[in-house]
This record gives sequence, structure tokens and C-alpha cells, in this order.
Amino acid sequence: MPDIVVCVKQTVDVYQLKPHPETLEPVFSQAQSKISDFDLNALEEALRIREKGGGRVSVVSAGPSINQLLIRETLAMGADEAHIISHPLLSTYDGRVTATVLSKLVEKAGRWDLILCGEASLDNSDYQTGPRLAEIFGVPHLAYVTKLEISDGRLKAWKSMEDGLHVASCSMPAVVTVGLEINTPRLPSLLMIRAATKKPIHEYRLSDLGLTEEELNPSVTLRELKALKVERRRVKLEGKPEELAEKLADILVREALAR
Amino acid sequence: MSLVIHGENPETIIRIAGAARRFFPDSPAQAVCLAPPGDEELRRLGGAGVETVHVLPENLTSQGPAVVVAALAMAVAKLGASTILLSATKYGREIGPRLAQRLGGSYATECIHVESVGEGLLVKRLVLGGAYQASLQLNARPYVIGVQAVADSAGGGAGIPRLERLDVDVDAPKIELLEVVKPEASHVDLERAEFIVGVGRGFKRREDLSMAEELARILGAELGCSRPVSGDLKWMSEDRHIGLSGKRVRPKTYLALGISGQIQHLVGIRDSKLIIAVNTDPNAPIMAESDYAVVGDIYKIVPPLIERLREKLGRR
Repeated sequence: MPDIVVCVKQTVDVYQLKPHPETLEPVFSQAQSKISDFDLNALEEALRIREKGGGRVSVVSAGPSINQLLIRETLAMGADEAHIISHPLLSTYDGRVTATVLSKLVEKAGRWDLILCGEASLDNSDYQTGPRLAEIFGVPHLAYVTKLEISDGRLKAWKSMEDGLHVASCSMPAVVTVGLEINTPRLPSLLMIRAATKKPIHEYRLSDLGLTEEELNPSVTLRELKALKVERRRVKLEGKPEELAEKLADILVREALAR
Repeated sequence: MSLVIHGENPETIIRIAGAARRFFPDSPAQAVCLAPPGDEELRRLGGAGVETVHVLPENLTSQGPAVVVAALAMAVAKLGASTILLSATKYGREIGPRLAQRLGGSYATECIHVESVGEGLLVKRLVLGGAYQASLQLNARPYVIGVQAVADSAGGGAGIPRLERLDVDVDAPKIELLEVVKPEASHVDLERAEFIVGVGRGFKRREDLSMAEELARILGAELGCSRPVSGDLKWMSEDRHIGLSGKRVRPKTYLALGISGQIQHLVGIRDSKLIIAVNTDPNAPIMAESDYAVVGDIYKIVPPLIERLREKLGRR
């Protein structure tokens, strides 16, 4: 019966993000927030483990301004409870700050056997939180996991590496980070959404976690953020398949194969 | 600035060392290897500017990242390095954050540029799905940097590096590596390919990939794919996966077949000189990122395209 903590990040939906035409800075106010994709895979995996072997699934989240409605979605999927903190200093490029605060939330969630995280976030794709939490708690870390099994208190994981699948095993407690391949996150039913309104969301202040603002001073700071300008010709070709094939063949011969 | 360079194998270290020489031409570099490099590798490490190669005790990697990190932390302390350069590979991204956490330094990965500024380091990396470039200042030493090392490497170094054994005794949480399941090895070097045909979910069945293979053969192109094709469907090996968590490619031509162009994939192809996309959906994100956006069904366009190319190129 492993008790599991799942770390979720609220990120901007990068697909909706558009740069300001002059400054080229992203206009965050025009894009919606969502739970980072891989984190939903982490939550789904936790719920499947609970369905097989019992245990409790807690969600933790830290950010500059956490939207409770998004956390409610994770409870609707099936998490039992959530522990969150919003603080302006958590809008950060310093993974140490994020991991420090998350580790305190994990402690608030109580006893745990397994921490599950998405392998990277949609916005920064830093791949930092999982390995940092593993170091903070002094436990093993299994990364890029595409399949996970638990038996006799041990984890067995299939890790997708560049040179193939690494099958590895370790004891719990441990940190596991996952990507899209491990599962397809469930969509909560209306019934589950209703049930979620009764589940607890614990919101903390920094002092509740025994932290001060000084401890959140970032060692990494943002100096500039600008859209990359890639000029593409965007020539649209439409028509009958045979005609398109002919045109495409011409383009390939003329522009791609000419040396 | 004293540099320590580490990667999963000598080849990776040679690439990072080449990048390091561009970023810090005057800084001495030492490498930390997991196993002794061969003579030829040692010579090339020297060519990339590495002065000393330190070899860690054997079999550390099979015990997992925590053990490697503990050993590296000891090495960094012994060698007195201010900057640790790692590869921005899956291995490097497992090691880097944990090492930075242990050393209390600052960390950034997938850096495409690194330079010293005043009391810190300035790095550039892509964020927000790869559509934006962030300049980040790192203020806490030691700096742990994951480098996006492309194929080119600045030479300039001469001599053969000294080879030294690093005796470190570590105690850290272990994982046990049970087995490595190699894919049907394709040994493809997509990063260096000049022409790539990329396939996506527009392909309905695995057998249909033969269409793309035939086209690639005629064009003299390599095959790549979006994440679902190698990840979910396992139709191609992971080393053909192009995108945020896969390869970053920079071919002269990228021909995207049935790829919608999720931002994670677009990051991987951004440096292509010419992008041509074939997709049924004129509003698919890939279309706006293409030089030529062909609106149509790959099943109806690719077969006649192969015929036309055969005629034009006289290839069978």
C-alpha cells in the first residue's frame, strides 16, 4: 500500500502563447494556465498504483499564483488531497527554490513511499524537480520511466534512454519521473468532479513551511526573454493530389537536391 | 575559470569540450570519465583542449545517478572546479540537477550559449516549448551547465591528456540496472543528416511507413519521427525521435509527413534550412512553420510523388 505524492506544476499553455509584435516578449496574460502535461501522466500512474494496491495519493503544487480550479481537476481525476502554496518568489527559473518548497509540501502530506513527477514541465523543460527532490530526501531516482511495476516493496522501471530501454529496480522510498508514454491520463466524469468538491485543498504560507523569503532568493535570474524569430516562406500549396505531387517533386529537385 | 567536463562516454565529452573551448577559450579543462578512454579517444580529447582525464571507479553508472553524483561531487571538490559542464542528454539531465542540488550551486541545462559576466555566468537556452530564448544569469558557484553540444567542435588543443585514476569512495542510494534492451539498432546520426524525412501520426499503420522509407531512399534522406511514433507506437527506435526530449536536428531540408507540429517537435526542427510539410489540416501548427505547406493526404500524395521523383531523378 504505497502512499504517493504527485508534484504538479501550473504552467502557461505554451501553445496559446504569442509574442508581443514589437518587444517579442511573450504575452502571458493572453494565454491560459493548465497543469503541465507530463504531470498528469504522473498523477494517472499514481492512481493506477492505488487502484491495484491501495494507499493514499496526495498532490503538491507550488507557484506564483496557483489556481485552485486546476488543483480541483487533479482531485476530480482521483487524488485524495492537495497541498499548495502560492508566492511571488515561486515564479522562478531556479529549480533549487522550487524543489525546496515542494519538499516542505511533501512533508506536510505526511508519510510517503513514492514521489511521482512529470519528467519535465511544459514551460521551462528543465528536468530538474525530480532529481533535486531525490537528492533532498536522499533516495534513489528513476527517470524517463515508460512502465512501472511494484512488488514486494520494490520498484521495477523501464527507462527510455537514447540507447534503448534500461530496466532498473530500486527500493522505496524513491522518486520516479515519467513522460507521455507511460499512460493516457483519465478524463474525470461528472460524478468524480462533484465528489472532488469535498476533498481537501490545504493552502500554506511560507512561514507554515518553516521557510523565509531569504531562503527563496534565486541563484538563477532571468535577464531577457524573447521570441525566436524564424522567417519561413509559408507558401501554401493546394490542389489535386497528383498536381501537388508534381509540384512537390519540382520543389524537392530544385531546392532540396540541387547541390 | 576552471572547467570540469563530464559525460556518459568519451564521444560526448569530446563534443562538450569542443563547445567549452568556444565559450571559454582561455580556461583549462579537465575531463571526468566513467571508464578509461581508448588511445584514439584520448588523442581527440587532447585535440578538444582537455589537459587531464580523470577516470572514476568502474561500474558507477549501473548503480544509478545518485552514486555517480556523489562521485562527481567528490571529484569536483578534489579538482577545485568552478564550472561543471555536462551533456544535455538524458544522462546529463539526470545527473545535472542532482549534482547542483548537492553542491549548492546554480544550474541550467540545454544551454546553447555560455559566457562569463562579472560575478556570474550568463547562459542562453530555449524555453516555452522552444519558441522563446531566455538569457539567464547564474549567481551561485559552482555552476553546473548542461550544454547542447552540436557536432562541430573547436580544435586547437594539441598534446595527449594526462590520464589519472580518481579514487573516490561513495555511499549513496543505489538503483540496480537489471537489463538494457537495445532497440533494433539504427545507429543513425540524425544530428548530422542533411536531408530528413519526418513521419508523424498521419501514418495510420506501421506497414505504411514503407512509403516514407521508399521516399527517403530515393531522396537520400534519413528518417526521423515525432514523439508518438517512437514513444507510444514504438514504430521507430528512440534515436529517430526528433523534438524537445529527442534529437535537435539541423538538416538542409526537413520534409514533414503527417506531422501536426506539436511545439515539442517544432523545437527539434527549428534549425532546418528548408521545411516542407504535407498535412491534411491547413491549420496544423507545422504549416505556419514551413517554407512550403502542402495541404493534402500523405496517402494520396506520397505514392505519386515517389513516381515523379523516380522519373526526374532516374532512380529506381
